[in-house]
Amino acid sequence: MSVSGRLKRLFGSLVGLSTGERVLVSLAAVAFAIGAGMVVILGAGYAASCESPVLFILGVEFCYNPTEVLFVLVEGAFVGNFELGRTLRWTTLFLFTGLSFAIPYKAGLFNIGAQGQFVLGSLGTAVGVLWIAGVAPGGTAGAVVLVSAGLAFGAVVGGFYGFLPGYLKVRFGMNEVVTTLLFNFIATAVAFVLVDQYFVDESISGTQTRAVPEVARLDPQLFPDSADFSLLVLLFALLVVAGVFWLLRRTITGYEIRAMGRQPKAAVFGGVDERFTTLFSMTTAGAIAGIGGAVYVLMVVGRWQTGPPPVGFDGIAVSILASNNPVGLFPSGLLFGVLQSGGQEVQVQTGVPSELVGVLRGLIILLVATPELFRLMGKRLQRHGIIDVGTDGEN
Amino acid sequence: MRAVTRTVVRWIAGFTGLILVLLGARFLAPSGSVGEQVLDAVLDTGYASSVLRVAVPVAFAAMGGIFAEKAGVINIGIEGFLILSALSSVVTVARLTDAGISPKLALWGGFLAGILVSIGAAAVFGVFVIRFKSNQVIAGLAIWLISLGVAPFVSLVLFESVNSPSVGTFGEWELPLLSELPVLGPVLFDASPMVYLMLLTAPLCWYTLRSTRLGRYIRACGDNPRALDTAGVSVSRTRFKGILLSGVLCGIGGAGFTLGQLGRFVGSGETSIGGRGFLGIVAYLFGNYNPIVSVGGALLFASFDALQFRLQQIAALDVPQQLFQVLPFVVVILVLMFLGRTRIPAALGEHYDEDE
Repeated sequence: MSVSGRLKRLFGSLVGLSTGERVLVSLAAVAFAIGAGMVVILGAGYAASCESPVLFILGVEFCYNPTEVLFVLVEGAFVGNFELGRTLRWTTLFLFTGLSFAIPYKAGLFNIGAQGQFVLGSLGTAVGVLWIAGVAPGGTAGAVVLVSAGLAFGAVVGGFYGFLPGYLKVRFGMNEVVTTLLFNFIATAVAFVLVDQYFVDESISGTQTRAVPEVARLDPQLFPDSADFSLLVLLFALLVVAGVFWLLRRTITGYEIRAMGRQPKAAVFGGVDERFTTLFSMTTAGAIAGIGGAVYVLMVVGRWQTGPPPVGFDGIAVSILASNNPVGLFPSGLLFGVLQSGGQEVQVQTGVPSELVGVLRGLIILLVATPELFRLMGKRLQRHGIIDVGTDGEN
Repeated sequence: MRAVTRTVVRWIAGFTGLILVLLGARFLAPSGSVGEQVLDAVLDTGYASSVLRVAVPVAFAAMGGIFAEKAGVINIGIEGFLILSALSSVVTVARLTDAGISPKLALWGGFLAGILVSIGAAAVFGVFVIRFKSNQVIAGLAIWLISLGVAPFVSLVLFESVNSPSVGTFGEWELPLLSELPVLGPVLFDASPMVYLMLLTAPLCWYTLRSTRLGRYIRACGDNPRALDTAGVSVSRTRFKGILLSGVLCGIGGAGFTLGQLGRFVGSGETSIGGRGFLGIVAYLFGNYNPIVSVGGALLFASFDALQFRLQQIAALDVPQQLFQVLPFVVVILVLMFLGRTRIPAALGEHYDEDE
């Protein structure tokens, strides 16, 4: 503890932002992104052509009404059991892929490959569960065996796919940003070919595996079946988050990961094994994204099918909005769950394409990565006497 | 200068050697075998032309990336610039054609619009990473993700589908006399204007970086910004110029790919750009920030990408199409593995405070 305390004091000045400031930056970023989103909706409403415009400003016709969209978004995310379940379903998935970005980030590494790890993990789960379904016992025992095996398959496949860029980095010095980015494209194509050639379900059209047996499905409690959301799985996800928090804060490996992220040279000089830390954090990240893929198969779709949602990329946004802090992941994941769930409702009710959520996701990432913007704005507001930031404006 | 001549000579020698080996293999291959069919498909001017065409977006992305990175800014956003440029070029062509402008003129209008939008996006990126000191990797990533959302969004609003209708392409420009040359003629002198542009831009970029004042400033920005500052040149402004040049080149890449090859915008999945910007990043790592060698790298990756159109037609080779699409990415990983560490600009990714 004393060593950690000393290191903390030593590097405290380098970290820059206090926790309070980070929360403020995140909130401001979300507010700004939503404001920008409203402007985008207004612009799109002007450019689109529709039968009956819903908004008139100074004689100009608009097809979409931004405030109505915002209202539908919130209502579509919370009001109703199905809607709430859908929101929490996305939140659950985002927790896994968010962790997958957060852990390597703590070690100073960018894992942009959660999407690929998620896709291959989900394929591993679907194929693995179908493979052992024949020999598994029936009833509750069968459910326990199949579900835990499914999660394990996802973790192993995803973990291996996370290990690869880690290995390429320690062995060949390849930048993990580039390799993980490229690995996403490889994963999508490889999964498609594997399913198309070997695991395709002949009885229906499209590239997808057979459905996993009903006993292996994670059934919803409290929420309607159609929401595809199980409260137990959310609790499991939160448990994983807590586990990672404990790993990072209370174990030697976690300490070494954080030391690597803060000051790699000092950490290596202090005896941290750079290779092990890199491999460990990347493999763990891949495994957790793979578990996310397993949950996607067992809880949501029940099989592997083409066109997986960009959960891995959302995870990056979730983690960055949470300052890559496991404690912040749930509120951040919930926010993106709301955007995703409400976005689907928005498309149905107002006709604004749900791709808008992707735009907001990018804007939030961009703004959170730019604390300086808000600091400059805070300074300006302070100079005009509008707000009082106190003395830490220069911090 | 001498080092570059040596590199170019080595490349030409290596390339000629490869062709000779393939020709030799072609003679040795038993007639009617799969090997013979594959070699026939590859030793063909049509294949060489398609390699040049397919290389365009990757090559321009690589050259764009070089200007940003040489100035000391990591630019993961080039993929996003390509996407935005691709979409806006198609939108403009569609709008101009609707307004009754001749298709040929509309295509060039779209090309210009694509470049302008890409420059605009680059300017926004530049303001964020230079003025507001964003984390460069995350900001670039954000540019990509925003583009990945904006492009299908706009396409849905305007065309009611994530994929745009077809707007046509530039076609081929056949240069008189030169295109009559055996072998080289149909490959180099009967090609898309974008291919000519690529072959001309590469030496131009090389010259700009190496021998112009702006080029020297940009290189100093990436390697020793303090020295540049001491000499009285603004580091921020030079970096901004580097990023804008990056936008210009990526704009040409995105619009050139769309209007020179595909003829439409596809917004599903990772869009029609589909990682070509990221391949560009690897191409300039491969070329060690030399524009000419980087374009060579782009051609290398393109030669695998172009294989899929050729080898698909060989019935005996029953390889699924998607596996060919992934081939360039796998090759790129292998190339990076054996490349070793490249010499990156010393101040890459670091902010520079001028008022210190």
